[in-house]
Amino acid sequence: MNRFELVEPATLDEAVALLDPDDSAVRAVAGATALILMMKARLFRPSRLVSLRRLQGTLRGVHDEPAGGLRIGALTTLTDLERSDRVRAAAPVVSRALRTLSNVRVRNVATLGGHLAHGDPHMDLPPILMTLGARVRVVSRRGDRWIEMQDLVRGYYVTSIANDELIADVHLPAQPADAHTWYEKFTALSADDWPTVGVAVWYRTGAGRITDARLAVGAATERPMRLAAAEASLIGAAADPASFARAADAAADAIEPLADIRGSAAYKREMVRVHVRRALDKGR
Amino acid sequence: MSDRHQRTIAFTLNGRRVRASVATHETILEVLQRDFGLFGARESCGQGLCGCCTVLVDGTAVSGCLYLAAFVDDADIVTVEGLSRGAELHPIQRAFVEKTGFQCGFCTPGVILMTKELLGRYPHPTDEEIRHYLSGNLCRCAAYPDIIEAVKRAAELMDPATLTNPGPRRHGDTET
Ligand SMILES: Cc1cc2nc3c(=O)[nH]c(=O)nc-3n(C[C@H](O)[C@H](O)[C@H](O)COP(=O)(O)OP(=O)(O)OC[C@H]3O[C@@H](n4cnc5c(N)ncnc54)[C@H](O)[C@@H]3O)c2cc1C
Repeated sequence: MNRFELVEPATLDEAVALLDPDDSAVRAVAGATALILMMKARLFRPSRLVSLRRLQGTLRGVHDEPAGGLRIGALTTLTDLERSDRVRAAAPVVSRALRTLSNVRVRNVATLGGHLAHGDPHMDLPPILMTLGARVRVVSRRGDRWIEMQDLVRGYYVTSIANDELIADVHLPAQPADAHTWYEKFTALSADDWPTVGVAVWYRTGAGRITDARLAVGAATERPMRLAAAEASLIGAAADPASFARAADAAADAIEPLADIRGSAAYKREMVRVHVRRALDKGR
Repeated sequence: MSDRHQRTIAFTLNGRRVRASVATHETILEVLQRDFGLFGARESCGQGLCGCCTVLVDGTAVSGCLYLAAFVDDADIVTVEGLSRGAELHPIQRAFVEKTGFQCGFCTPGVILMTKELLGRYPHPTDEEIRHYLSGNLCRCAAYPDIIEAVKRAAELMDPATLTNPGPRRHGDTET
């Protein structure tokens, strides 16, 4: 790793003031689990890292929102999230996914903000949070703004967070009682490996028909994304194997898969087909 | 080298207050080895996957290869060297010896520290909990079945109420 300046501001205002809108070699660091790997691989050579660890008091924890739903501080560790009773009650699909997201040591240190800001298309939580309708609040000297989860990651390691912005928290809306949710993580190596393909689904049913549907994939394309054609094919359909197979075909047709060490593009397309079907079925 | 890139940190290491001068880009693993001659935490994959570099920071297991040394300022660090009391092994260490929960021993310090966090949280873990906690500790000798037995034995040794077999007598035990 190269030498860099490390600053540890005590307040969020000081932290955003230490960022530089025009210099991407100045960056925030939270748990550092992703950044250290990038620095070791010389993919990133910072001049200054702005550590957020002294902000834990304000930006850590899972809180009930007065209007329903949860507010999760950006510095909440993935372990805190995995163990949170509030998260388990509101979105068990998140708690379950965390158990195979990396390993206990990484989760003990990695933060939700770092997870979302990293922009790696292989992350497990972005597709799930997209289907749950989550939003991210980012702050800068210019004020705060909201980013819908589905607009956060724009390309391969590219996010819509500006150089001088920080994620402050993530808002998870209350879920309707009839929402079916599932995340199907397919790993080609160990159980807690990065996903080869991840598929998140969310749908509602009434009178035996699907009334609303959201479906997102991760690890298969250059960024995590919702698949509108697959979602549309489900609405009005029966929640049965035939509809799930149609949606799976629509998903497989819609994507431009990106090969990586866990699978070729053709393989990823087939795995998306299989795991969309399974996710919809298990969500039942 | 300007001091923007270097700082002095103070922390507790295996019960002793210590100080170290570290570069901001150094990991705790590098500092433990270079400044304190502690090699129980050792680098293997260098990517947080294998668990050989596990250390406890304020009681929580982390990968030493992915943890900036600057972040341990004021923290309480425990390495495998800090578990025994003089010649008396920690119950987890005794359990691993008793059940031969290792072959070559390279991954063992990390497995033992991970077990310490596990038993702190779940004093009587199920097989599922043991597997969940240790899934990120790779043993290239594949001593996994013995490791799981050792963790269960450690849970017994650490909770005398459930101890059915007190195990072999140790040096210093008195005959009754
Ligand atoms: C061994 C290993 C296995 C893994 N396996 C998986 C896996 O199976 N599935 C998976 O999804 N992930 C996996 N990961 C990735 C892991 O989820 C990320 O490394 C982690 O979530 C990053 O969080 P962090 O706090 O350490 O981020 P950091 O490394 O501190 O930061 C990451 C990025 O986010 C930025 N950042 C951090 N906080 C903020 C903030 N509040 N606002 C704006 N920008 C911010 C940083 O500038 C940096 O660009 C794995 C990681 C490791 C090391």
